[in-house]
Amino acid sequence: MSADEGALRRVLPPERVDDFLGACDDYGWLILVASTVLAGTLPLAGLEAGFYMTFVTDLFLFGILALSWDLVGGQTGYPSFGNMAFFGIGAYTTAILVKDFSVGFPVAFVVAGGLAVAFAAFIGVIVFRLRGHYFAIATLGVLLAAQQVSRNLEITGGASGKILLDTPSAEAFYYLFLGVLVAEIALVYYLSGTRFGFVLNAIRDDEQKATAMGFNTTYYKTAAWMLAALFTGLAGAAWSLDNTFVDPQTAYNGAWNVELIAMALLGGSGTVAGPVLGAFGLHSVIVVVDTYATGWQLVLLGTAVIVTVVAFPKGVVGTLREYAAEMAYYERGGMAAANDGGDDPDEDSSPAGGEAG
Amino acid sequence: MALAQFIVNGLLVGALFAAVAVGFALIWGVVDIINLAHGEMVMLGGYTAYWALALTTGTARGGPLVVLATLPLVVGVLFAVGYLLQRVLVKRVMGTDVFLTLLVTFGASIAIQQLALRAWTANPRSIQVELADPSLVLGGVVVPKMKLVAFLGAFVLTGALWAFLQRSRTGRAIRAVSQNPEAAALVGIDVEHTRATTFGLSSAIAGAVGVFVATILNVQPQMGLIYTLKSFVIVVFGGVGSIPGALLGGLLLGSVEETVAGVISSQWTLAVSFSLLIVLLIVKPNGLFGQEASE
Repeated sequence: MSADEGALRRVLPPERVDDFLGACDDYGWLILVASTVLAGTLPLAGLEAGFYMTFVTDLFLFGILALSWDLVGGQTGYPSFGNMAFFGIGAYTTAILVKDFSVGFPVAFVVAGGLAVAFAAFIGVIVFRLRGHYFAIATLGVLLAAQQVSRNLEITGGASGKILLDTPSAEAFYYLFLGVLVAEIALVYYLSGTRFGFVLNAIRDDEQKATAMGFNTTYYKTAAWMLAALFTGLAGAAWSLDNTFVDPQTAYNGAWNVELIAMALLGGSGTVAGPVLGAFGLHSVIVVVDTYATGWQLVLLGTAVIVTVVAFPKGVVGTLREYAAEMAYYERGGMAAANDGGDDPDEDSSPAGGEAG
Repeated sequence: MALAQFIVNGLLVGALFAAVAVGFALIWGVVDIINLAHGEMVMLGGYTAYWALALTTGTARGGPLVVLATLPLVVGVLFAVGYLLQRVLVKRVMGTDVFLTLLVTFGASIAIQQLALRAWTANPRSIQVELADPSLVLGGVVVPKMKLVAFLGAFVLTGALWAFLQRSRTGRAIRAVSQNPEAAALVGIDVEHTRATTFGLSSAIAGAVGVFVATILNVQPQMGLIYTLKSFVIVVFGGVGSIPGALLGGLLLGSVEETVAGVISSQWTLAVSFSLLIVLLIVKPNGLFGQEASE
């Protein structure tokens, strides 16, 4: 073990990692813009509609979903099993508006986001009275209840769902998902440096103290939840037409919800880049497994969740940061440095999303 | 009269929900884990009995005694599954963040469910019980005999668990660990073994209920989550660690579901159960019979 660590230290000294993370923080916006431009030029450089474009589009989709989950689950400390309810509402709203009311897709897209936010506001008032086990299970109840309602209503097409025809091109969806992802990363990155972001982290670390400091925590929690619902709902809205088919089992997919959580944890929960990178990584692995061993992807997902939680609960970004901080810890004199606080390393996050796999 | 029939139907299936929930509550109370893979134990129990019958007699049918004879096997197999689940997996996340324990058991639930799907396909399977005269009629209310057997079986299982916890040495050890693990370790109780035994016992009961579910309804790989959530509703209603509360909660949930199914439509039972879950969590987070104000 110690020999291993020695070797690791020679190849990858903690101060290098520290420099690297610091550079990511300093040039966060630049990295985001560069990755966006890179991802935006991929279709021009020869990425054509088909397997690979669908794959990259799905990376963007899961990036959006994982980052939305993490905004409430990782940053605010309210881990939910019910985020996919917003996704389903977005997907069904678009499908119904476009198919039954002949509304144009852009309008339906906006309405879908709005409805997801309204639903989040309503549900938030109820579920944010709970914490821990109870919050997680109550949100799972919300997801399953929403799924059952969609399965039973006439307007949603019942258990068989809705088929959508004449949808925009795959390239249009590529840019739409990329746009939503970049907008979300930019917003979350911006918020992580504002008072709003600090209050969310304060709620996660100690909600009672945050309340004692005079913050209306319910307001902040609900606002974060509505923001997460907005992006999840927009992702669902775009997904329904891109997928050309909406049914209760997939639109309110409980397994996906667990997948998002695994992505966020694997990448590094509570950071900006972590959930997005985790989504890119885990989804790539799942697609590879599905290609070579069709039908085993959910078995892998379950196993991945277990392994992540048992072996790797801080994720890639969290582990890197810890490793980098080790050196600073010794340089500042070990325990003595731990006591005088110094600058808070938790708050700076680096966005590195948008880089296409 | 119709209402009486709905309520009787509800009580008959409610006893099964209750027996599953009792095990869920036991793990929650003793090991302090919400086991989201608990419903999968019902599924595995049903399949174990199905395959035991199908492989030994060639068909998944038989007289009531033949079907009941699979129970010891199911109890043994599921005890081992539960014991190993705690020893190999859940032990590793004990004492970490609550959410991580939920996530690990959720991951286990998905993995078990998907493996079952790969192994046995999504087709629902059931065990046919051969009875000369399938139903009794009591005062205008129809009572299928096998449902009555399942109802009584659920009570016997719950009663046996209760007696085991009260009377046996292992049962006392389980209660001791639940009250104070450190003190239990000081008096020489193997805490890890006791926790795994609790998991094993709870899974064994859930598995035994699975046998009854396979006879009166059917089993399929993705049935588990519904049983887990119903258990959660029941335990929240009855209070963590309260066996009478869980029994009453199960019977009540069964009656509500069957009444909804009869009066509105069977499609809406799950939507009602899940909404009930949310309402109960808000209104009575400590349960009607709960002793502790845990949050």
